[in-house]
Amino acid sequence: MKKQLLAALLLWLVPVLFAADNQWVLQQATLTYHVSHPLHQTDGISHAARGKGVCHDGQCDFLIAVPVKSFDSGDSNRDLHMLQVTRGAEFPMVTVRSQLPESASSSATIRADLEIQFAGQTAQYKQVAFQVVTQGKQIQISGTIPATLSDFKIAPPTLLTMPIKNEIPVRVEMTWRQQ
Amino acid sequence: MRSKAAAVVFCLGLGFILTLKPNLLFAQNANPAPAQQQSPASNASPQQDNLPNAPSSSKTEPSLEDLGFSSEQAQSNAKLQALLDKRTHMLKIHQRMGLITTVPLIATLALSLNAGGKNTGSASRDAHVALGALTGDLYGITAYYAIRAPRVPGTETRGPIRFHKAMAWIHGPGMILTPILGAMAFNQKNNGEKVHGIASAHGPVAIVTAGAFGAAVLSVSLKF
Repeated sequence: MKKQLLAALLLWLVPVLFAADNQWVLQQATLTYHVSHPLHQTDGISHAARGKGVCHDGQCDFLIAVPVKSFDSGDSNRDLHMLQVTRGAEFPMVTVRSQLPESASSSATIRADLEIQFAGQTAQYKQVAFQVVTQGKQIQISGTIPATLSDFKIAPPTLLTMPIKNEIPVRVEMTWRQQ
Repeated sequence: MRSKAAAVVFCLGLGFILTLKPNLLFAQNANPAPAQQQSPASNASPQQDNLPNAPSSSKTEPSLEDLGFSSEQAQSNAKLQALLDKRTHMLKIHQRMGLITTVPLIATLALSLNAGGKNTGSASRDAHVALGALTGDLYGITAYYAIRAPRVPGTETRGPIRFHKAMAWIHGPGMILTPILGAMAFNQKNNGEKVHGIASAHGPVAIVTAGAFGAAVLSVSLKF
């Protein structure tokens, strides 16, 4: 009886103990927001994003964060106004959380549910499509997040009494490396 | 005897495995927390407003600290936000006043055609003077809000705003010189004299000033 118990315990322990934990690190990222106004079309770019993914039991949890003030539109005055209207001094980071199955890395297209914290608000984006290109131990992921000002309760800035469009899509291009 | 041997083998095996994976004894991700229920709408909970970068509730999820951002980068700065709010408020007034100033400025320029030269009548000249004075006052208010708007420390001026600021060095002194020269020209005209001397520079100075002002407005309104 004791032998059987010991054997059963060993049989249970071995697969548990040898379940592999994978980690992914964001090597490089370019995030670009786009703002539309009747007189101006503007893009703000950031290369300062950092990210990490932890995989366990076939499921991966990802976190990506980028400082709001790292976005550069080419005009320091516009960037400061952006920082003010998005309350970027009070809420300095944009964070994106997502859960994906570990098998997603082998697909050419993935659809992810995103939870984004920005300007003191949290917004959910369901089934956002990303293209995946695998290069050895690196994965390149690109896609566009359909963010809007109203999702984060941001009052639309105006120029010459005309407000910018509510849609502020964010183009994401990332390179992840498996550790 | 046999059970003792099995126990020894078991303990040796466990010890070997734990040697390879020591973190198992202190694993934080043995049992992932259940996924939080999220509403489909995009409204924040009150807690999120106070903790803009709240650590993850699940033990499997990475946290902001794991990413290596400094505390300075991740920390809220209410003082800086208040400064940005004040800056934006003042620059919005500056923008509004600047646009309002263009109206009497254009009217003053239009009336200047009949205000000088061979025209001896004073009605147009008086109207030109009045509108010029109004333009000067509105310009002064516009300039005040730009000058007094707080600066953000550590910010480098880049982009079209540099040209906008550079134009101020032309239309600023011009808006001081133009009414001075205009007053001199006005007196000469009222005395029945032909405008002469430095007073004759009133027109060219005014045109350069208005041109710089217009360029300043356009530089932040249109994309070049």
